[in-house]
Amino acid sequence: MEEQDLLRSAVREFALKSIQDRALKIEHEGIDRGLLQSLASQGFLGARIHEKYGGSGIDLHGYLTIINELATFSPSVAALVMLVNSVQAPLLGDAEPESLKKLASGEATVATSLSDVLEGSWTATTLQKSGTGFKGVVEMSSLHNGEFAMALNREDGHLYLFKNGIKALEEDSGLSFRGLSNGSLEISSGDFTVLSQNGEEALKSIVDSLDLEVAAIALGTAKGALDKAIEYVKVRKTFERPLKDYGPVANGLSRLMAEYLSLSSFLDTVDENDSRAKLTLKILSVDFAKRATKASLQYHGGYGYIEDTGVEKFYRDAMGLSILFQRPHHDSMRLSKEIFGEKSGYL
Amino acid sequence: MDFDFPEDIVNARKKAQEFAKKEISSEMAKKYDRDEKFPEELRKKAFEYGIVDYTNPWSMLVTIEELCRADPGLGISATVSLFGAEVIMLFGSDAQKQKYLTKVQNGEKIMGLAVTEPGGGSDVAGIKTKAVEKDGNYVVNGAKMFITNGTIADFFVMLIRTEEVEGKRHHGLSAFIVDSDLPGFSKNKLSGKLGVRATNTAELILDNVPVPKENLIGEPGKGFYYIMTFFNISRAYVAAQAIGIAQGALDKVLEHLNRLTKEGNKALAEEVQFLAADIATRIEASRLITYKAASYLFQFRPNPTLTSMAKAYASETATFAAEKALEITGYSGIMGDLERFFRDSKIMEIWEGTSEIEKLIISRNLLKEYAEVA
Ligand SMILES: Cc1cc2nc3c(=O)[nH]c(=O)nc-3n(C[C@H](O)[C@H](O)[C@H](O)COP(=O)(O)OP(=O)(O)OC[C@H]3O[C@@H](n4cnc5c(N)ncnc54)[C@H](O)[C@@H]3O)c2cc1C
Repeated sequence: MEEQDLLRSAVREFALKSIQDRALKIEHEGIDRGLLQSLASQGFLGARIHEKYGGSGIDLHGYLTIINELATFSPSVAALVMLVNSVQAPLLGDAEPESLKKLASGEATVATSLSDVLEGSWTATTLQKSGTGFKGVVEMSSLHNGEFAMALNREDGHLYLFKNGIKALEEDSGLSFRGLSNGSLEISSGDFTVLSQNGEEALKSIVDSLDLEVAAIALGTAKGALDKAIEYVKVRKTFERPLKDYGPVANGLSRLMAEYLSLSSFLDTVDENDSRAKLTLKILSVDFAKRATKASLQYHGGYGYIEDTGVEKFYRDAMGLSILFQRPHHDSMRLSKEIFGEKSGYL
Repeated sequence: MDFDFPEDIVNARKKAQEFAKKEISSEMAKKYDRDEKFPEELRKKAFEYGIVDYTNPWSMLVTIEELCRADPGLGISATVSLFGAEVIMLFGSDAQKQKYLTKVQNGEKIMGLAVTEPGGGSDVAGIKTKAVEKDGNYVVNGAKMFITNGTIADFFVMLIRTEEVEGKRHHGLSAFIVDSDLPGFSKNKLSGKLGVRATNTAELILDNVPVPKENLIGEPGKGFYYIMTFFNISRAYVAAQAIGIAQGALDKVLEHLNRLTKEGNKALAEEVQFLAADIATRIEASRLITYKAASYLFQFRPNPTLTSMAKAYASETATFAAEKALEITGYSGIMGDLERFFRDSKIMEIWEGTSEIEKLIISRNLLKEYAEVA
C-alpha cells in the first residue's frame, strides 16, 4: 500500500508539472509528442508493457493508480495510457516487438478504433484488398494521426496492424476524450501484420477486459471534477455566504466524496481474478462519475459551462467513458449471469 | 378542461416544423457548433418566414419548442434576438417602445438582457455595476458576465445599482436601456462553451459609460422587481426550449430503435423500452406544467410557483432525455447529433435561474401560501 501511495504522489507531481497547465491545450490540440515522451520516461506510458520491450512491467494495482491519478487532471491522457497498455500492447503481443518498443517509448502511436464492436455502431471501417495490400477508410479512430493503425477487415474478419500508408483525414473532436485526437483516417498500405484471425472477437474481449481500467478512469474523472467543485464552493459567494454553507451544496458534495472514497477503496483492494467484483466496480464507478461530474459542473453555475474553468471536460468524458470503452447492455447481462449463474436479463 | 390547442397554435407549430425542416440540417448545426458562429442568416429567415412574433406568446412558445427540437443552438439563436424585450414592453415609456422595440420586433435589430456579473448571477440583488448621475446622464461602471447576444446586440436592458439602501439589497437597483455603441462600452466574446455554441455569449465591460437619463426604464429603484417580473415570463420560454431539446432527443431514440428493429429484425430489450417510455412520460409532464404556467401568464395572471416548476422540471427533463438517449443509442448516438443535444441540454439547468434557485422559489412560495391560508 505504501508503495502505491508513493507511486500516486509521483504521478501527481508529474501531472501537476506536465499536465495541469496544459490540460486545455490537450483538449484542443491533442497529446503532443513531448508529453508522450515524458510519460514514457517516467515509466507511465508503457506501465504494463514488459521491460524487454521498454515498458516498466508494473503490477496491475500500480498501473490502475497511474491512470486513476492521471484522469484527475486529464481523462484523455489516462485513456491514452489505457489504450497503449490494455488495448494495443496485448493485441500487438509478441508478434510485433519492434512496434511495441516504439509504442512504449512514445516514438510512435497506433490509431485504434474500437467502434466496430461498440453497441449501437454501424460498421465504421471499409477495407478492401488492393494488390498485395489494402485500401480503405476507418471512420472514427483515436490517435487518427498515428504512425501505425489497427483496423478490422469485415471481409476476412482479421484484425490488421498497418505500418505505413496511413493518412489522417479531418479531425472530429467529438464529445469526449478530445485529447486523443479522434478522427477518420485513410489506409493504403502493403506493410501489415495480421494481429488476430478473428478480429471482432479479439476486440470484443479486449473491450470486456477493461473493467478495472474504466473504473479507475471513471473514479479519477469524478475526483478531478469534485476537487474543483469543493475548492470553488469554498470561495464563491451567493447571497453574501460562501456556497459551502448551503446544505444542498455542501452535503451534496460530501455525499459524493463519501461515495468516491468507498469506491476508491474497493478499487485499491479488488481481486483481479474476481470477475463479478471487477464488473460491479466498473458499473458503479461509471454511473457515479456521470453523477459526480454533472453535479460538479452545476455547482460552478455559468462558469461550469465554459471550458476555461476546466470542469466541463470531466462531464463530457464521464459520458463518453460509458459508451466508448465498454458495452453497457452486454455488461448488464454479464452481471446478471454472475448473479443468476446462467444467461438472464436478455429480453 | 381542454388539452387541445386552438387551430392557430396548431398551425403555428406546423409552420415552425416546416421552417425547421427546410432551414435546419444536421450538417448546418454541426458546423455552427464547431465554429461557434451565430447564425445571422437563419435568424433573419425566421423573421421573414413570420415565425418570430412575441406579441403572439402561445405561437412563440410552440415555435421555440419546435426549433430547439431540430437543434438547440440554432433554435435558440433564431428566437433570442428579443431577449429582455418584455421589460420595455411592460415598464418602458412610449418613446422607448417606439425607439427600441419596433426594430427588434421586425428583426432589424438585436437586443440582450444583462443582469449576471462576474461576481454572481443567482444573487441578483448582489450586483455591483453602478450608475451615478452626472451632467444629464447616468455614468455606469462595472461588468456583466455571460450575456447572450453580447457582441451582436444593438442595445441591452441592464440592471444597475443606482442607490445603496442599508439592509435592503434588492432596493436601489434600476433597469436601463444601454446602447452597445456608447463610449467606454466594450465586449469580449466568450468562446469554448460546452454547448449552445451557435449562440453568442460575452462579457461586457462598462468604463464610465454615459447612459442618457431618458434610458432609465420605469422608476428608479424598481429594477429588481422589473427583472423578477421578466424572469417569470422568460422562464416559460426556457421551459419550451428544454421541452424541445428533450423531444429532439426522443425523436432520435425512436429513429434509432425503429432502425434497430427493421435492420436487426429482433425484439427490443425491455430495459431500452422502459427508458424510452420514461423520457416520453417526463416530456409529457413537462409540457403539462409549462402550458399550465403559460396559460396563467398569458392571461396576465402569472403564477411564479408554476413557472419555476415548469422551468426546473423541463430543464431536468432535457438533461435526463439527452443522457438516456445517448445511453440507448450508444456509439451511433455519440457520433451523431445526440452528443450535441447532450452538451446543449446542460445550459437549461443553469441560465435564467439555476434549478436550485427555482426550487428555492417554489418552496418559499408554497410556504408563504400555506402561512397565508393558515
Ligand atoms: C451560455 C450562457 C448564457 C447566459 N446568458 C445570460 C444573459 O443573457 N443574461 C444574463 O444576465 N445572464 C446570463 N447567463 C448567466 C446565468 O443566468 C447565470 O450563470 C446563472 O444565473 C447562475 O449564476 P452564476 O453563474 O453566477 O452562478 P452562482 O450564482 O454563483 O451559483 C453557483 C451554483 O450555486 C448554486 N447556488 C447559488 N445559491 C444557492 C443557494 N442559496 N442554495 C443552493 N445552491 C445555490 C447555484 O444553483 C449554482 O449551482 C448566461 C449563462 C450562460 C452560461
